[in-house]
Amino acid sequence: MEVSVSSAVNVSILAMSVIFTVLIILIFTIKTLVKLIPYQASPAAPARKIVGSSTPGQDDQVAAITASLAAHMGKRPDEFRIVNIQSR
Amino acid sequence: MEFSFGASASKIIHSTGFSDLAGGDLIMIGVGCTLIYLAIGKKFEPLLLLPMGFGCLLANLPLSMMKATDSGGLLNFFYQGVQHEILPPIIFMGVGALTDFGPLLANPTTLLLGAAAQIGVYTTLIGAVYLGFNMQEAAAIGIIGGADGPTSIFIASKLAPHLLAPIAVAAYSYMSLVPLIQPPIMKLLTTEEERKIKMAQLKPISQTVKILFPIVVTFVCCLLLPGVTPLLGMFMLGNLFRESGVTQRLHETTETHLINIVTIMLALSVGSSMTADSFLRLETIKIIVLGLLAFGFATAGGLIFGKIMCKATGGKVNPLIGSAGVSAVPMAARVSQKVGADADSSNFLLMHAMGPNVAGVIGSAVAAGIFVSLFGDISGVDTHASLAPVIGNPEPGIQAIATVVDAIKH
Repeated sequence: MEVSVSSAVNVSILAMSVIFTVLIILIFTIKTLVKLIPYQASPAAPARKIVGSSTPGQDDQVAAITASLAAHMGKRPDEFRIVNIQSR
Repeated sequence: MEFSFGASASKIIHSTGFSDLAGGDLIMIGVGCTLIYLAIGKKFEPLLLLPMGFGCLLANLPLSMMKATDSGGLLNFFYQGVQHEILPPIIFMGVGALTDFGPLLANPTTLLLGAAAQIGVYTTLIGAVYLGFNMQEAAAIGIIGGADGPTSIFIASKLAPHLLAPIAVAAYSYMSLVPLIQPPIMKLLTTEEERKIKMAQLKPISQTVKILFPIVVTFVCCLLLPGVTPLLGMFMLGNLFRESGVTQRLHETTETHLINIVTIMLALSVGSSMTADSFLRLETIKIIVLGLLAFGFATAGGLIFGKIMCKATGGKVNPLIGSAGVSAVPMAARVSQKVGADADSSNFLLMHAMGPNVAGVIGSAVAAGIFVSLFGDISGVDTHASLAPVIGNPEPGIQAIATVVDAIKH
């Protein structure tokens, strides 16, 4: 019995050493990968054009849409603001 | 052919299952119903314990031909997937598809916590040998401490198939009890100040690194420990489906339908192996007790190493994340989060604990690989013995290939 338990202890020490060795190898591998290929934030999406700086033609569209929405929602035109118009 | 009413009625009565129902069958039906109750009533790992309990119920109905050992029976076919180590690796592929290695890659030193938690496997191995199990059986019991059901089933079916049922039941039962088993140990081994430690936010990781990681791990680990390849290889393939971004359909299938289907088959087959002669033994009680010790020691091992890392980093690591190294994804990480939040409600440890948690999966797979290397037959001769009529006595390596080529030529 004692021999078996001592064998189990030997196996355990050996196995834990192997686990630590394998995982330490992985740690260094990961660190190398992260160092070689650093994170780069994806380029910011181009800012959407704000209607406030729209062309004179769009001003008419904004006015028409604002008036229609105000009538539909029962609000005054200055209670909301249209910030973007995108054509398909 | 002449029929008398009495003889026919007697024949029908003797062909029912009631005539063969023994005391052991009734006890095992009770065990099956208990598992079903735990799944439905207590919500303990219901996805596994429910089909497992029902498989046990079916297997112990006399004359049903639903035992894992009933050649030609339905569940015997399912059981081939366990016996030939097919189902656990497929489950691992699904788990890989569900796993985000981001927290681990952002803080790779947490891999050490996953390694330290494997101490539960080896203390249990020593305990099992002390209680009279041989080394193969002790290894299969010890892997319960890895808190990883598929790995436990994989190793048990390879090293100690006669102990598969109690090992699987112990592994899944204790995994469901992680929220009850771990917190007292965590509070016992850490101080209030340690539990309040806040960790720095994890840095983002490049998608290229996330894609390369499963390939590199497969290469490194499977070359070092070939026995681990079925589990770790499938785990990393599932993760590659997820991270590559070009296999969305495979990723979705793997993380949902495939893992669900295989879970049903695996749990039913394990349940069908729970028969009176395999389960109602003194060894089962020993395995249940050893399994609990395995979880306890694994939790303690992770926590103690967490405390060492806390000291070594000047208090930058909260030791509570060490307990997540026992695997049991993601429940163990949630327990770390909860115990940390109990000490300080503004402390968010979940993402930090996910690092050691997935490291625990890798650690337990490596532990399994070591057992296969030490005690298993990795040549696969037995597994492929069915090829014997085609290629004669199958031999590993180049000789086997030469034999096959020769057989094809002739």
